[in-house]
Amino acid sequence: MAPTYNIAMVSDFFFPQPGGVESHIYQLSSKLRDRGHKVIIITHAYKGRTGVRYLTNGLKVYHVPFFVLYRSASFPTVFSFFPVFRNIVLRERIDIVHGHASLSSLCHEAILHARTMGLRTVYTDHSLFGFADAASIFANKLLKFSLSDVDHVICVSHTCKENTVLRASLDPLMVSVIPNAVVAENFKPLDPSELSSDAFSRRHPPPVRPPGPHDMITIVVISRLFYNKGTDLLTAAIPRILENHPNTRFIIAGDGPKAIDLEQMIEQNVLQDRVEMLGPIRHEEVRDVMVRGHIYLHPSLTEAFGTVIVEAASCGLYVVCTQVGGIPEVLPSHMTVFAKPEENDLVAATGRAIAALRANKVRTELFHEQVKSMYSWTDVAMRTERVYNGISGAISEAEFYGYDAANGAGSWSATRGRSGVQSFALIDRLKRYYGCGIWAGKLFCLCVIVDYLIFLALELLFPRDKIDVCPDWPKKARKSTGAVAGFSRN
Amino acid sequence: MAPPSGLHSSSHPSDFETPFPKLVRSSTVPAGLRSTRTDPSHLAPEDAYAPLSPHRLRAFDATDNVSGAESRTGRLRRKGPSRSGSRRRKRFQKLLWVKQSYPDNYTDQATFLENLQRNPRVRPYDFWPLVADSTVIVQHVCSVILFVVCFVGIFQERVSPVAVVSWSSGATFAGWLLWDFWATQDARGAAGDEDARARIMRGGHAYREFRPPLRQDSSGLDPSSALNASTDHYPQPRHPLSGHADSTGFLAPGDAHSRSVSSFNSITSQTSMANIPNSLATPAPTTTTTTAHPDATDGHDQTTPSDHPQTRLFSSRFYVRLSTIKSAILIYFTLLGLSPILKSLTRSTSSDSIWAMSFWLLAINIFFFDYSGGSRSGVAAAAAATTTTPGKPMPVASLSTNAALMASTVLASRLPSTGQVFSLTLFSIQVFGLFPVFRQCARRRSWRYHVILTVLLVLGAGAGVGMILGDPHHHHGWPWKRGLVGMVVGCLIAAVAMGGCSWWLIGLQKYKNEIYGPWDPARPIIISRRHWEDE
Repeated sequence: MAPTYNIAMVSDFFFPQPGGVESHIYQLSSKLRDRGHKVIIITHAYKGRTGVRYLTNGLKVYHVPFFVLYRSASFPTVFSFFPVFRNIVLRERIDIVHGHASLSSLCHEAILHARTMGLRTVYTDHSLFGFADAASIFANKLLKFSLSDVDHVICVSHTCKENTVLRASLDPLMVSVIPNAVVAENFKPLDPSELSSDAFSRRHPPPVRPPGPHDMITIVVISRLFYNKGTDLLTAAIPRILENHPNTRFIIAGDGPKAIDLEQMIEQNVLQDRVEMLGPIRHEEVRDVMVRGHIYLHPSLTEAFGTVIVEAASCGLYVVCTQVGGIPEVLPSHMTVFAKPEENDLVAATGRAIAALRANKVRTELFHEQVKSMYSWTDVAMRTERVYNGISGAISEAEFYGYDAANGAGSWSATRGRSGVQSFALIDRLKRYYGCGIWAGKLFCLCVIVDYLIFLALELLFPRDKIDVCPDWPKKARKSTGAVAGFSRN
Repeated sequence: MAPPSGLHSSSHPSDFETPFPKLVRSSTVPAGLRSTRTDPSHLAPEDAYAPLSPHRLRAFDATDNVSGAESRTGRLRRKGPSRSGSRRRKRFQKLLWVKQSYPDNYTDQATFLENLQRNPRVRPYDFWPLVADSTVIVQHVCSVILFVVCFVGIFQERVSPVAVVSWSSGATFAGWLLWDFWATQDARGAAGDEDARARIMRGGHAYREFRPPLRQDSSGLDPSSALNASTDHYPQPRHPLSGHADSTGFLAPGDAHSRSVSSFNSITSQTSMANIPNSLATPAPTTTTTTAHPDATDGHDQTTPSDHPQTRLFSSRFYVRLSTIKSAILIYFTLLGLSPILKSLTRSTSSDSIWAMSFWLLAINIFFFDYSGGSRSGVAAAAAATTTTPGKPMPVASLSTNAALMASTVLASRLPSTGQVFSLTLFSIQVFGLFPVFRQCARRRSWRYHVILTVLLVLGAGAGVGMILGDPHHHHGWPWKRGLVGMVVGCLIAAVAMGGCSWWLIGLQKYKNEIYGPWDPARPIIISRRHWEDE
C-alpha cells in the first residue's frame, strides 16, 4: 500500500498572479490530491487575497502577510516566517515541504525552517541562472545556503539540472528531472465544429490546413516582450521573413518594454497589414490565438523548459525555436525547426518551416495526440510521488539512488550522505552548511543555530499541544487501494 | 524523430540496443583526478599556453561541481552492476519527451555537463605586454605623487608656489604647442584621406551599400544630400581611424579647456565630415552642426577638392586655438577670483581630517581613473564585432577627475596665502585635467614618447619624494643627494611593482574559473539592426 503524505507547497508565486510556476504548482497539487495526498499551498498575501482560501477540489491556500519586494518576490528575512510557518505546519500535520522557484525567498525560508522542525524538504527549480555577474553570484550563494540541507531537488529539464547542480554544489543523484506538462484538453487544435458564423470568425477566417503554395501562412508569437525572450531577434527577423515569403503574416501577442521596438519596426517597414499586435492576453486566450496560426515562432534567448512551445505543438502548430537552454529537450524534431540565436539562422529556419508546410511534409494534425501522450500532469505527479517516497524512506535508498549504500556512501557516513535519508541532528546539519565557503559557511552555521534557538523558544512559548489540528478536506478514495492510510513520520 | 544535432551525438532512439556499459568506481573517476595535478578544477600554469585541450575538457566534464568536491565524483555512477550487467537497455538520452527506462534522478556519465565550457574566452597574458600596459598606471600614480610632493613643498615653504606654477604652466604651454602640432598634422592627413573618399563617393557611390534603403540619392546641389552624405559615414566609426581619433580625442568630456561647444562645432563642420564619426563620443548631434554651416556643406559638393580642405583646415585650427586661449584665460581669472574663498573654505576643519580626506580622494582618483584611454577604441571595435553595441565611455572617469580636483581644493585650503592657494589649484588643474590628455595623446602618437614620459615621471616622482623626506629645517642648498637616492629607489620600486604585479597577475590566472553552458542567455547576433537604429 502506497503511503500518502501531507504536503505543503511553498512559493511566493501563486494565483492570482499568472505564470508558469503558478500553474505548475496548481496542476501538480491538484494531481497529487487526486492521488490521495493532502496538499496545501503557502504563499504570501496578494492584494485582495489574504488569509486562507480554498480552490477547486478543496485545495487550501494560506496567504501569509509578507512584505513584497519586487515582482511579488517577498522581502528576504531569514527568520520572520518561522512562527507562522510552524503554526501552519503543525495545524496541517505536514510531512513534506515542497518549495518552488529560486527567486522566492519564502520558499528558501520554508526549507530552512522545515529542516529545523524535522520535516522532509523538496525544492523545484524552474529557471536558469548564469555564473558571470555579481547578482548571479549572490543569488547562487543563497541558493547554496538553502539547498545545503534539502532532501531532494527537482528540475524541469536536464539543462536546468546541470545548472542547479553547479550553482548549489549538489550531488547529481539528489536532483531529479521532472518536466512541466500541459493540460492537453485546454490546447486542442481548432475543431471544425467550433467554427460558427459569429463576427469573430468572419473577421479571422480559420487557417487553411494544409496550406497550399499560395495560401496565407500565419506565424504566431506569444511571449512577454523582454530582451531575454529574444524580442530583438524577432524585430530584426520579421521584415526579412515577410520580404522573403509573400503570403505570410504575423500575429504577436504579449507586452513588455520591447513592444515599442516592434511597433517602430512595423511603422518603419510599413507592415501594418501583415503584422498584427494583440497586446497582453490572458492565459486562457492563448489557445484561441494559437489556433489562428500555422507556425509558432519562439525566439527566446534563455529558457529552462519552454512550456509555451509544448502548448503550441499541442495546438497543432509547427514550432520554430532557438536552440537555447532546455528547449532542445522538449519536443521531438519532427515538430520543431531549430535555429541558432542569430538573425540569419532564424530567418532561414522560418523559411524552412514555411517550405515544409507548403509542401505538406509536416503532419501537424497528429501533433495534439502525440503531445498528449508525452506530457501529462498525472505523470508529473507520479514521478514527484516517487521523490517523496525516496526521501521519506518508503522506497529503499538503494532503489531510489541506485547504488549500494554501504559501498557508495563511504565518506558520507557521517551524515548518511547528502543524498541519503538525511539526518536531522543539528550537528549533522551544521556539517553540511559549514562546507559552503570560508566565510559563508560560518555565517550559515550561525543562521542555522539561531533558527534552532528560535524553534526551541517557539516550542516553549506556543506549545505543540495548544495548537489545534484542523480537519482535513474529505478525500476521494484512491482507486487502487480504496482506503487511505495515514502516513506517520518516523 | 532525430534529436537536435549538436546536443546529442546519436540520432535515433531505435538503434540504441547497445548494452549499457558496466560502471565500476575506478572507471568513473575522471581522468583528471588520476593525473599528477592535485586539483582538476583549477587551471594549471600550462593552461596558459595550451588552453583547454579537448582531452582536458572531457576530464572536467565529469566533475560534478565547481568547488571540485572530488569525493563526490566517484558517486556519479548509478545503476550498480547487479542491474545493468545482464540487461540490455536503451541508452539514456537527454530528452524530456521520450519515456525512458531510467529513474528521474539518473545521471548519465557520458552526457552530464557535456556542454559545460570552462574559461572558453580566457586569453593568456604575456609578461612583457603586461608590463608595457602597466606603464599607464605608473604614469598616473607618479603624477599624483608629484602633485603631493609639490603641495608638501609649498606647505613646508621649501618651494615657492610661483615657481611651481610657472614651471608647470610653461610645461603645459609647451605640451599644448606639441599637441597642437600633432593635431594639425593628423587633421591634414585626415583631410586628404577624406578628400579621396569624397571623390570616390561622387564617382562610384562606393559606400552606397552601407546605406539604409530609405535614403535618397545624393546627386548634386541639394544641401540635404550633403547632410545625407555625412550621416552616411555613421557606420564607419567602428573602424578606428587613427588620425581622426587624435584630432577629436581632446574633445572628450572632462577636458577643461576645449570643451566649449563652439570650438567643437567649428571642428566638426570645418574639417569636413571626417570628424563626424568621432562625434559619436561627444554629445553634439551631427545634423545640427552640418545644417548650421551650410557654406561648409555646399563647398563640399560644389568646389574642386584640391585647395579647400587646406584653407578650411587652417581656419579651423585657428578657431580651436582662439577658443583654447579664451577658456584658459577664463579659468585663470576665475581661479584668481575664487582663491580667497577657497583659502577660508575649511578653516573650521582640523588638518587631520583634511589629510585623511585628501588621501581618500586621491585614492579614488587613482582607482577610478580611465586607464583604457586610447586603447579603448580597439576594445570597443572588438566588442562591436561580437555584440553590435558600440563601446561606451567609462561612466566613472569623471568621478576620478572630480575627486582629484576636490582633493586639491581641500589641500589648497590649508595653505596660508591667497597666492599659494591660487598656485596649487591651477597646478592641480594642469596635473589632473590636462596632463592625462597629453599623456594619452603621446601614447597614441608614439611608443617612444610614452616610454620617455614614463621614465621622466618616475625619476621626477622619486626625486621629489626623496627631497621632501629630508629634514625640512636644513636649507643648505638643494638636497641633491637625497634627490638622487630617491630617483634610484623610485626606479627600483617602479620596476619591482610593474614586474611583480604582472607576474602575480599571470600567476593568478590559474584560479580563473568561468563557467559557460547552455543555461547562459544566448547572445543574439543581429545584423540588420543598423538599418533602423542609426536613423
